[in-house]
Amino acid sequence: MDGATLSMNAPLLESDSAYVDDSALVRRSAAGDTRAFEQLYRSHVGRVHGAILRLVGMDRARAEELTQEAFVRAWQKLSSFRYESAFSTWLYRLGVNTALMELRGRREAENVDDATLEYAAGGEVPFCAGERGDLERAVSALPPRARAVLVLHDVEGWKHEEIAAELGMATGSSKAQLHRARGLLRRALGGET
Amino acid sequence: MSEFEWRNQMHKLNTPEPPARELWPEISARIAQQPRVAPRRAMRRAFAAIAATVIIASGAGLLAYRLDRNAAPTVSAPVVAVSPIVTSETPPRTALDWAVPSDPKLAAVAQGLDKASADLQAALEARPDAVFLVSMINRTNAQRMRLLRQSAISG
Repeated sequence: MDGATLSMNAPLLESDSAYVDDSALVRRSAAGDTRAFEQLYRSHVGRVHGAILRLVGMDRARAEELTQEAFVRAWQKLSSFRYESAFSTWLYRLGVNTALMELRGRREAENVDDATLEYAAGGEVPFCAGERGDLERAVSALPPRARAVLVLHDVEGWKHEEIAAELGMATGSSKAQLHRARGLLRRALGGET
Repeated sequence: MSEFEWRNQMHKLNTPEPPARELWPEISARIAQQPRVAPRRAMRRAFAAIAATVIIASGAGLLAYRLDRNAAPTVSAPVVAVSPIVTSETPPRTALDWAVPSDPKLAAVAQGLDKASADLQAALEARPDAVFLVSMINRTNAQRMRLLRQSAISG
């Protein structure tokens, strides 16, 4: 598309896009206007990249790669956006979906191990406090699937049913993974209650 | 620490975080190379294919019924294998494309069904979430098989 070259030569300032409605930009993007899509990118990249970064355990290079992939997929799938929900929500879900693609293919047996059963059988896991940096490091060190469930539930505010559907697991497995993740975090943070 | 406090603490991690480097130039370069079917065009193609399939399937059914009534039960007519003319616009071929009924009328109907099937496949590629297209493809292919069987029986 010609617009791609044009927009690369003349990047938009954030202030240019501050008052432009997302729906109008989506319509223009869907018609092939890459400048409009660039405005959408600049408005939403922080949220999308932030969610992906947390899901991949603060691996910045991987998060940037997946963020790129998410925006390319968004461009390709603009035709499936129905304007019934906010574009920001649709884009955010697509970004999360992109980050979770590699997790979804893993077999359930690989994800529910002895540690899960141990924590699931162990009753309530005490909650613990931590500094932001410590928390982020501890979350990053979690096994991928447990981390995904913890981030989606405790950080992003998803329900277990939504997580289960997104990761292709049973709702009970999502709860068990959350229990496991919280237990592992407590250990990593020194077990303060 | 209560669960509420825990959730509150964790929720504070939910902050936008822009990438450390500019990603747009690479995204822009990638989307510049991506052919994207315009949404309305894609849906128009899908619905046109569906309409064509219904019309052709109805015609094929009627024709097959008439042939069936006139069929000589002991005679089996040959099915001619024909190499199709391949052009740059020819859609991908399937196994069925090579089995063309010898009757010119049935051959025309078979060609129409193959075209409808190819259009449906293209529509499905544009809208992979449209499950109804899968059942339309299956029905089109079933009609094509039935047509082939009827032509072999009736000659």
